[in-house]
Amino acid sequence: MTINDLPRPNPGRAKLLGAATLLLFAAGSAAGLFLVPADALQGEVQRLLYVHVPAAWLAMLSFFVVFVMSVLYLIQRDPKWDLLAVSAAEIGIVFTALALVLGSLWGKPTWGVWWTWDPRLTTTAIMLMIYVGYLVVRSFADDPEKRARWSAIIGIVGFVDVPIVYLSVLWWRTLHQPPSSPRSMAGEFVYVLLLNVAAFTLLYIFLMVRRYRLAIAERHVEELRLTRDDGRIT
Amino acid sequence: MGDSGVAVRLEKISKRLGWTWALREIGLEVERGSSVVLIGPNGAGKTTLLRLVATLLKPTAGTGEVLGSSLQGDADTIRRRTGLLSARGHLYGDLNALENLRFAAWMSGVSVDEASVRAALAKVGLDHVSEQRAREYSSGMQKRLAFATLLMRRLDLVLLDEPYASLDADGIRMVDEFVDEWRAEGGTVLLATHRRGLAVRKADRVAVLQAGRLHRYCRPDELEPADLDPQPVLPAG
Amino acid sequence: MKSSLALRTWAILWKDLLIELRTKQSFSAMVFFAALVLFLFGFAIGPDSATLARLGGGLLWIAIAFTGMLSLGRTFQSEEVAGGLDGLRMYPGEIRAIYLGKLLTNFSMLVVLEIVLVPVAVVLLQLEPWGRFPLFVGITLLGTFGFSVIGTFYASLTQHLRARELMLPLLLFPALVPVFLGAVNGTTLALAGDPLDRIGGWIRLLISFDIIFFVVCIWIFPLVLEE
Repeated sequence: MTINDLPRPNPGRAKLLGAATLLLFAAGSAAGLFLVPADALQGEVQRLLYVHVPAAWLAMLSFFVVFVMSVLYLIQRDPKWDLLAVSAAEIGIVFTALALVLGSLWGKPTWGVWWTWDPRLTTTAIMLMIYVGYLVVRSFADDPEKRARWSAIIGIVGFVDVPIVYLSVLWWRTLHQPPSSPRSMAGEFVYVLLLNVAAFTLLYIFLMVRRYRLAIAERHVEELRLTRDDGRIT
Repeated sequence: MGDSGVAVRLEKISKRLGWTWALREIGLEVERGSSVVLIGPNGAGKTTLLRLVATLLKPTAGTGEVLGSSLQGDADTIRRRTGLLSARGHLYGDLNALENLRFAAWMSGVSVDEASVRAALAKVGLDHVSEQRAREYSSGMQKRLAFATLLMRRLDLVLLDEPYASLDADGIRMVDEFVDEWRAEGGTVLLATHRRGLAVRKADRVAVLQAGRLHRYCRPDELEPADLDPQPVLPAG
Repeated sequence: MKSSLALRTWAILWKDLLIELRTKQSFSAMVFFAALVLFLFGFAIGPDSATLARLGGGLLWIAIAFTGMLSLGRTFQSEEVAGGLDGLRMYPGEIRAIYLGKLLTNFSMLVVLEIVLVPVAVVLLQLEPWGRFPLFVGITLLGTFGFSVIGTFYASLTQHLRARELMLPLLLFPALVPVFLGAVNGTTLALAGDPLDRIGGWIRLLISFDIIFFVVCIWIFPLVLEE
């Protein structure tokens, strides 16, 4: 299979998707910032929730996609699964980091500290490290087949690990204090949150399409740069 | 199966390692009981071809059969009856000769008693130094010990990768004797070397590899001088 | 077929332990390194014996983890010296014997290390493991096994990578968080005599982790060595 055989997304449809994402995003942000009143207890800072929760959702979604693509790659050995997996991993890392930063910004005024060893927060940080490892391994493997195979294995083992990490941290923390749990929210908050989750999910699909196209282009450049100039590759 | 007259049959085998094609569309048939020598400059794909026949590498494209079993599907059956001797022999320098043999026997599923291990050692003339660590051996002795690990097993095909490397005249004769003896017992030999002059003496057929392609596959007497020295001549000094 | 797997696993364990026994220098260096780490903790935390004893479980496991990392990095050294993994891969039979053999080698090496290290820790950190000693030993073995299961797996995965000395801990430490939490908290409770009887949860966590990853790793392992 050469790189030219890989299926490419349709650029016209991607633009349409981008426009739809932008619209939904604008709507979600407007609703989150202006439509709903500030939280009675936490004040304006609570609005961070409308981005923090969708970011955390995308992080989980991305790593699930990495897992599925990794399994598919190992079964079929089709490079497209590998390129989709790395696209999902990179997007997942961005949103994991975003969720951590937003959580920290929210935590400072609410809890009085930037960082707390909350099970969810801690697991998110460990998850970030697991998938950074995934990307670093890729950068250290030159052979595209080995790179794809090794990272797919890490994508699977890492995904199995995340829930166990969460349970172990939860266990560790409950010995000292109960984990922070979201209070029940009023109806309008939930709708705004759902709107933002939808906007982020659309953004995710848009980013996946773009990143996947980029991955194909990268692969193409790599092939052109590294192929020996003596006709040993066709 | 297994009784056909062909030990190795490769059809349009290609192997991509990283971004280069190490082998391109190799077609090759090795008859049972014959000896085929692969020659070619370093990087021509000799070792890759041997490792592929040994099922250590999966072909990127093409099909192949070794001893009647498919390369893609039946690696274990092939490994049971195929031995590979790489340039460094896969000996453990901190183990003595007896321990190296015992390990090889366990790993290959040969039932070992002390007597058969010692017999294999005696066959290659190392019984007097059996308690000495392999790292203290000369390269000739190490090669003998490596041969002994193959002799313990009932193999139909041996793959020798650069067996003449770093051997003196005695060592080279020893390798030749091993090849002769092996073939006298009906075994098939596939040998890769860049020392062309040495190699062709023991060959029924010679395969000349160049840049991953099978340049020529013929009897030794049909070789052309250019086949024997395909490398560009470098200016002296 | 099963007996062949067991025999080949045993052969690799026997071979690697024999080689370790003949080249004792590297193992002794490892033990000294582990003891050195304990000394550094003493300097970092101060000589107050109550503090040291309270942190004892954590300190012991950091020393084991760091030294264990060095040990894991050497998992395939005997094969490299012998000319690569081809020698082992060329033998017929189940390829998973390579994983099992190397896993048991790493586990045994770590256990031997701990047999030396724990008495040193007991003296330096003024630990009192004797009250619940079987519990202490059990937790240590479970933690060490989990460490070896994932460690051997990632050592196989990173052995051909550039910068593998860096990559192994980078992959291993995040994955090991459950083992580390289970082992540290379990050890700390065992050292404290487990007055509230809370150690069971950590033991279950360690056992679950060991089983889950043993199954996952042994199942995926053939894909790691593929070429």
